[in-house]
Amino acid sequence: MGKGWVALLMGVTVTLAAGMFLSPSSVAQVPTLGRNVKVGIVDTYSGPPAVFSNDALNGFKLALGEINRDGVLGARIEFVTRDERFSPEIGLSMARELILQERVDLLVGTINSATALAISALAREQKIPFIVWISKSEAITGAQGHRYVFSTTENTAMAGKALAEYFARKPFLRFWIGAEDYEYGHAITNSFWRFMKRAKPEATLAGQTWWRTGEPDLVPYLTSIMAGRPEAAFFGTGGAGMANVLRTMLTVGFAERVPSAIHTAIDFTALRPLGLNVPEGVTGTTDYLWYYPETPANQAFVRAFQAAYGTPPGFPAFHGYNTAYFIAEAIRKARSLDREKIIDALEGLRIRSPVGEVEMRACDHQVIYPIIAGVTKKNLQLNAIVAANPVILRGADVMPTCEDVARARRR
Amino acid sequence: MDLQVIGSQLLVGLSRAMILFIVSAGLSFVLGVLRVPNVFHGSLYMIGAFAAFTIATGLGSNAAGLWLALLAAPLAGAVVGLVVERALLSRLYEREHLMLILFTWGIMLILNDVVKLIWGADYRSVLAPPILRGAAHILGAAVPRYNLFLLLVGPLVAVGMWAFTHKTRLGRMARAAAVDREMVGVLGIDVSRILAAAFLVGSYLAGLGGALVAPTTSITLGMDHTIIIEAFLIVTIGGLGNLWGALVGALLFGVTQSLGLLIWPQFAIVFPYAATVLVLLVRPTGLLRSVW
Repeated sequence: MGKGWVALLMGVTVTLAAGMFLSPSSVAQVPTLGRNVKVGIVDTYSGPPAVFSNDALNGFKLALGEINRDGVLGARIEFVTRDERFSPEIGLSMARELILQERVDLLVGTINSATALAISALAREQKIPFIVWISKSEAITGAQGHRYVFSTTENTAMAGKALAEYFARKPFLRFWIGAEDYEYGHAITNSFWRFMKRAKPEATLAGQTWWRTGEPDLVPYLTSIMAGRPEAAFFGTGGAGMANVLRTMLTVGFAERVPSAIHTAIDFTALRPLGLNVPEGVTGTTDYLWYYPETPANQAFVRAFQAAYGTPPGFPAFHGYNTAYFIAEAIRKARSLDREKIIDALEGLRIRSPVGEVEMRACDHQVIYPIIAGVTKKNLQLNAIVAANPVILRGADVMPTCEDVARARRR
Repeated sequence: MDLQVIGSQLLVGLSRAMILFIVSAGLSFVLGVLRVPNVFHGSLYMIGAFAAFTIATGLGSNAAGLWLALLAAPLAGAVVGLVVERALLSRLYEREHLMLILFTWGIMLILNDVVKLIWGADYRSVLAPPILRGAAHILGAAVPRYNLFLLLVGPLVAVGMWAFTHKTRLGRMARAAAVDREMVGVLGIDVSRILAAAFLVGSYLAGLGGALVAPTTSITLGMDHTIIIEAFLIVTIGGLGNLWGALVGALLFGVTQSLGLLIWPQFAIVFPYAATVLVLLVRPTGLLRSVW
């Protein structure tokens, strides 16, 4: 056989080999998952927190619609969901049922921090990935974090630090804390005050007032805080409880007399039911606003969400949307439904979100989001309360360091 | 501590007590006349609050609409109460109390879902009529005008209930039925209608409490749970079935909560409950005479 024949044969062989990888037929060679992906969601769909849980679920569904158009390695992502009625015991039994009966590949939930921590322990025991998408207790990926739990929401460590650093720029020294007596109330309060003392060591605590979750009448609480004549107040409360604080502030003229800060006080989902009945000038923080920043990606997300659900997305929808993309991208990267491989793929994974690229930090499984700070202001054009003069604080700057997290986990 | 501060905090506590009294008076009246510990009384309060939202927003949240909401929304609680009483509860009056508690508990869970179906899971918000917004300055202290309005409504309801039970034929028959239902029946009076009317009045008071609280708070699913616990504690420390006992219990509850906030704000949450325990230790049947 002459050299010409050898060259020709080699050329054909190389072309065929390359074709195996590059031709459309090579797609069929990519290992498919063989079955659809099943996600089990446990969240609160009864009572006031349902506003947030439904928003998150809608964001998740919107993303699944986009993802399932082409599928993930030949499969679709499906989900089943359960109402834990804001009870850790119920949430835990539902998560167990989803793992054992429904045989889900991943767990997602919940707005209730206490439930999230309970399910997190179960996920560790059952070795199944659990992605927390609304509840914000820093213990979830901090002190009680582990290999099987992830968070696609900002946490109280990030929010408390962002709010403290932003609020510390103002000339207040004598603070009062008013908070709701539950997991989130304690977590956000501890974080805010810890970072406020770090940012401004001379700050003092004039007093603390705590009330039970769902306390209907906050007038005596806020009037007693005003009687203590603090220079500023921080409120550790969220959702309907926070809305109640804002309403009562308006009734007793609190905001005009005591400058106040609340995480999520500028959040669209929490403010929507109040219309314009919110005091102006209250400092707030959030990790997502549908109207800011005005990037094409965010505007496209808002348009799609509004077309699907008739309202702009709140922060839970943003988290739900990102959660779906984290799951899809992790499975694509893992090329498998093996739980350990999915976890490995999630660590350090970056996805394109409506506000730009976001990363799932490998060391603690906590998503890195920028935090937006601003003060409440009426916007008659939008007929809503918006954040005036918003400032974006870099996610990496407001997160605890990996060493901090490791230390907290050792404790 | 500043006397002005104590005075204004006392007024705020008294006004909170008025809402508690109105709801507890309804519960106490039903307990006294029908012998029914009505757990879904809190649901009727919640329905009153949501109905106030619907009426106020339906009429554009103008001053007239807000006043109409306060006046008409309690009827929603009254009507729902009457329907449940006529359709279901009236068949169970002879059952033991545990059965009645479980039954009314079940109705509470169902009504919670009905409210969710009608109004959704979002929390809602209603403004007070314009004249009642903002704060009034009394002896130099700022007190919300709406709270002062509640301080007028509470005593009016107390006097109205006293007049109803003592000065009207229906009220007197209801009192008689509370003492001896069989005797009233023997006299040829339709006891069933008396009981229905008493339940209607109790339900109206629950709805009135809900409508009155609406401008002061976020209207949410679950607000029934909080109020029903407080209302049961109040009628217990006041004396079961005793109208004035409900007033005394509500005042004790509201004032200890409010003044406790000035004394020990971090743990003020326990003051009303500590007062309740203390009363029950000293007088297990309540501060005033129980009609049971």
